[in-house]
Amino acid sequence: MTSTALPPAPSSPETMPAAPAKVSRPRRRAASALRSERPSVRLSAWIAVIVCGGFALLPVYWLLATSLTPRDQVFSYPPKLIPTEITLDAYTSLFANPQLFTYLQNSIIVSVVTAVLSVFVSAYMGYSFSKFRYRGRRQLMYFVLASQMFPQALLLVTLYSVFSAYGLLNTYTALVLSFTTFTLPLCVWMLKGFFDTIPDELIEAARVDGASRLRTIHSIVLPLAAPGLVAAGLFAFVRGWNDFIFALTLAGPDKQTLPPGLVNTYVGEAATAWPELMAASLVVSLPVAIAFMLLQRYLVSGMTAGAVKG
Amino acid sequence: MSASPLPNPAFTRRRALQLFGLGAATVALAGCSPTGTSGAASGAAGLNGADPTDFAFASWSLTEEAAKPALEAIIADYEKANGVSVKPTAFPYNEYINQLMLQVTGGQFTGAAHVDVAWLGSLAATGKLQDLSSLAKGRGYTDAALTAATFDGVQYALPWTIGAIGLVTNSEILGKVGVAPDAFPTTIDDFEKTLKDLKGLGGGLIPYAASTKAAQLKDILIWMQTFGSPLVDGDTITIGDDASIEAVAWYKSLYDQGLIAADVDRFDARSLFAQGRAAIYDDAPVGRGAVTGESPDPDLGSKLVPVSRPVLAAGDTPRALVWGGAIAVVSGSGAATAGDFAQFATSDLDTILADYAVRGLPPATEDALSSDAIASDVFGTQFSERITATATANPLWAFTAYSQIEAEVADRVQAVLVGSSSPKDAMKEAGAAARKLAG
Repeated sequence: MTSTALPPAPSSPETMPAAPAKVSRPRRRAASALRSERPSVRLSAWIAVIVCGGFALLPVYWLLATSLTPRDQVFSYPPKLIPTEITLDAYTSLFANPQLFTYLQNSIIVSVVTAVLSVFVSAYMGYSFSKFRYRGRRQLMYFVLASQMFPQALLLVTLYSVFSAYGLLNTYTALVLSFTTFTLPLCVWMLKGFFDTIPDELIEAARVDGASRLRTIHSIVLPLAAPGLVAAGLFAFVRGWNDFIFALTLAGPDKQTLPPGLVNTYVGEAATAWPELMAASLVVSLPVAIAFMLLQRYLVSGMTAGAVKG
Repeated sequence: MSASPLPNPAFTRRRALQLFGLGAATVALAGCSPTGTSGAASGAAGLNGADPTDFAFASWSLTEEAAKPALEAIIADYEKANGVSVKPTAFPYNEYINQLMLQVTGGQFTGAAHVDVAWLGSLAATGKLQDLSSLAKGRGYTDAALTAATFDGVQYALPWTIGAIGLVTNSEILGKVGVAPDAFPTTIDDFEKTLKDLKGLGGGLIPYAASTKAAQLKDILIWMQTFGSPLVDGDTITIGDDASIEAVAWYKSLYDQGLIAADVDRFDARSLFAQGRAAIYDDAPVGRGAVTGESPDPDLGSKLVPVSRPVLAAGDTPRALVWGGAIAVVSGSGAATAGDFAQFATSDLDTILADYAVRGLPPATEDALSSDAIASDVFGTQFSERITATATANPLWAFTAYSQIEAEVADRVQAVLVGSSSPKDAMKEAGAAARKLAG
């Protein structure tokens, strides 16, 4: 099979996932309201944007302001929107603490591996659920989803026992496997929905052209499902990045990730080092924020693909 | 944790506590994977002439910026003196007991463990704690401290930093209403009058930053005892009796008059007090560093005055709740050396004084308490004399489900504060729920 033997799938409206176009409509409407010729519409639109933006960004601003405030003024009354005294002490102590970079490194390793593993497994599972028909398929789909119904804390009991028995406690493997346990069901369903939007005719055409099943998946289906794969990967990454209780319980001191690491470092029995905690939170959230900015269009289209099927 | 009574009357109380302990480890955390528990605590730890071996030491303070240097110094001194390696294990305070229970029941942790005295019942129920009574003899621990680290008549831990939770005041603010540091009201009626005077100062001052958030409303228990409720009589929880109802009704009246504020927990109270927005609050000695560190007033430390809790009738004994840390020893690898370490950390005078210089927490031995360094600390001395001297353990700690019991009570008290229940109905319900949890 050669690439020229295949139809130019992405260019056809019928073969393209419909979600991205649909998702962009409200955005276009909002943009046109901001540029409306009627002043009242323009004003209302701008007020709405400012209010919504302020609502979303105020916590981030407060986090930044607290990180720059001396510790004895963090709870000053009345609260000050703009700190009267600014200090970089929190950032200085942050960069002087090498342990935090160990936590950061652990978070990156665990989250990236979780994302890759989740996408790898869920892509094949999702494709199977979407494109094959076999006895027990539907039951299996719901069985996969059923693991989401249990409280995570309850599954920790079982996972702790299993990892302890196999000597996996305090390893990256324990964290990746436990995170994947929770990311896999949603990733599978998300990708199943995405694969549903890819026409069977396209796959049949590849088969007619002589592509094997695996070749069809790897060369035709997965490239078309790239937004879904990115969305599933981001979801899994964020799940691994944010987890607290599993990382605290299964990782041990050497493999601890940022959430328990920051709590361990800055939250004490009697007091919390708020400026340092805020500074650390701000710094360590930057990689995720940048990743989201770069990939957000895939995330939106990937998350909504299954929802607009048909 | 099961809320139902034990199904088999042949179960012993200890067996029941073991089961509750396992439940706490699995449900509260999420806890885990228990191996079987071994029943009663095993014999005394300690070297007894044997060679020291490596062991693990768990403490929440090993993660805390202010306390960490003190503990690291103790560990380093012990390692150097005995030629062993101590493996530090740390969890944040709020997660500590769940994580420790998980590791102890799962067999992942053996050695010395820093524990809050309130947790001894839960940990003892695992059957993995050693009886340290032989290590406690002749080391000069105060009787009160030894009692605080005892559960069910067994010395499950060696007391390390023993104090109490009591009222702490800002003498400068109290001075504005004519209350001198040594003339704090001794009865509840006079106390309430002082609170009203403080409110009259205006400026948004909260006279008494009492706990009103559910998470910390267990503070109401000490007021129930002040009003005459025993909380527990024999093995029966008495919450719902007239005294507990009266205490909650009084608390509600303070709330309605604006003498205490809504939505306050210990951390909020410390912040309010540190900012000079509250005149009185409840805390343990560990809170001193937090309020002085957060305060814009560099002299706040000299204005802190601990006072005895007012009593219902003149002549009653002021109530206070025992608070403190101890070191327990979990059976298994390195336990003998861990016991020796526990004794060293908690009773060696030089070690205690060096620790006190960093953490400022009240020690548990007579010679340390009478040393110049500690006796010259005015706040610490006053706290010991006025609060710790009459402090008692929370009777509910005898129940492994004590935290759930406290939560039940707190939820009902909050219902009273927001006006959705009467004190009588709420406390009757709380008592019934607590007795059900106790089994």
